[in-house]
Amino acid sequence: MNLRHKSILSLFLVSFFCIEKNFASDLLSKINSTKEEALAFLEKIDQTKENDLWPNVKPKLFYDNLKLNLENPMSFYPGRSTNFCAYGAISYLVMQKDPLGYVKFMNELYDKGGATFNQNKFKPSKAIMQAAGTLQFKGVLDIRHAEQMWFLVLSDKFKGYLNFFNKKYQEGDENTFWAATNLSKFNRMVSKMCGVKVKAVGSDLIKPWVKDTYSYLQKRIDSNIVSLYINNRIIHKKNHDKIKFSIPTHFIILRQIRKENNMITLRYWDYGGETEMQITPRTFKKIIFGIITITK
Amino acid sequence: MIRCLLFFSIIISLLTTSCSTRIISTNYYQERKGTVDSIESRYEKLNATKPFAIAFTDKRLNIISFEMISDTLTRIYEFNINEKRLFDTLKKYNYNTPGIYYLIRKMQETKVTWINSVDYYVNDQPQQLIYLSIKPVTIRYLFSPPKYIALGYFRTAQAFDEKGRLLDSRRTKKIRKIKGQTFYRISDRICYTTTEKYR
Repeated sequence: MNLRHKSILSLFLVSFFCIEKNFASDLLSKINSTKEEALAFLEKIDQTKENDLWPNVKPKLFYDNLKLNLENPMSFYPGRSTNFCAYGAISYLVMQKDPLGYVKFMNELYDKGGATFNQNKFKPSKAIMQAAGTLQFKGVLDIRHAEQMWFLVLSDKFKGYLNFFNKKYQEGDENTFWAATNLSKFNRMVSKMCGVKVKAVGSDLIKPWVKDTYSYLQKRIDSNIVSLYINNRIIHKKNHDKIKFSIPTHFIILRQIRKENNMITLRYWDYGGETEMQITPRTFKKIIFGIITITK
Repeated sequence: MIRCLLFFSIIISLLTTSCSTRIISTNYYQERKGTVDSIESRYEKLNATKPFAIAFTDKRLNIISFEMISDTLTRIYEFNINEKRLFDTLKKYNYNTPGIYYLIRKMQETKVTWINSVDYYVNDQPQQLIYLSIKPVTIRYLFSPPKYIALGYFRTAQAFDEKGRLLDSRRTKKIRKIKGQTFYRISDRICYTTTEKYR
């Protein structure tokens, strides 16, 4: 077997590996906090302190952003044209579970250049510390310095096979494979960051092996948080070619699903707000590659 | 057998590498300046009252993806432009129905495939750019990617270098990329690029 065959085989093995997998919860599932606790913590902090460790992070933009994250957790915005969508979905889950943990972590990270979140140690590289606060032309992320820091630090810490050839951050890498996330990496991140039980069906190449995807989602959406790994290029077409690679590109948090007049309406959270989209059952079947069920 | 494989690999590499898509007109914007500028200004007015974006998603430019944008929710619905459902939806969500129908018709005639408003920040202050893409007539070879002309309409005069490339600001020499593309000067506040993606 030559090298090319080996690499293709390994890619398939990696993707099949997560066809159905349970990521066990750990003791951290007991950690919970409220928005009020987090806001009270934030009030006590000196919000004017500058820090040379993060030369481009403006304290006012940083702390205003943390406050916004607490007041409106749905406002997390992973930025235009970046590969931060998976980290956006993680943020949504973290804010549901432990907002106090989030602000404490971000404050410590800003103060000391390193911090621990749910037993995960973060010590970002110099390049990351230089980059936070400099991302531009990404929409409102331009002025959200805490979110820039959070997304960059998460991308720097968690790695999957998609990041194999680009592990060290260089300017502009937020748009490249450096920040990309595959299904297995996403599940691992959710499990480690939120300490919750994760069940995933699907893979990076093959669609989920479920009889009726619509019913499968409907059954789970009320009692769990459901995240979908979808091929966004089918619904957000970028060119008029008919032949397209059938690969997933985007993570979303599914909020509602309904069917009427042979159209499926999905309401989901992704870029700082909710989107409602009507698609045909055929398109619905085509776009979903991974269904991640997270215990509330 | 080896000779045959070699022959095919040479043909394929010639088709994929040397034959990139060519846009026939070299002066596409200037030829349609009046219509394209009026589409932009009409969109700007309509978008200011109730934000939206329009993309033509099929080759014949009959199907649109209409994004109705509000602070809390973005609705993305797909319509055939002759479908009554489009009229009903625009009315239901209080859009300027005749204005949007006129815009869609003009976009279809001029082959504008995407129009959208993009926000960005300068000195922490919000700015706006209107981004539109045109599907030009091209000579396209097997395996070569499609090509679109993208236009950016800024509200204020922008900085460009001596080669006409859009810069981040007057004080820096840093090239400002929009969606990973370098843009070139048409006027102080309008710039263009050719791209493989229309949005």
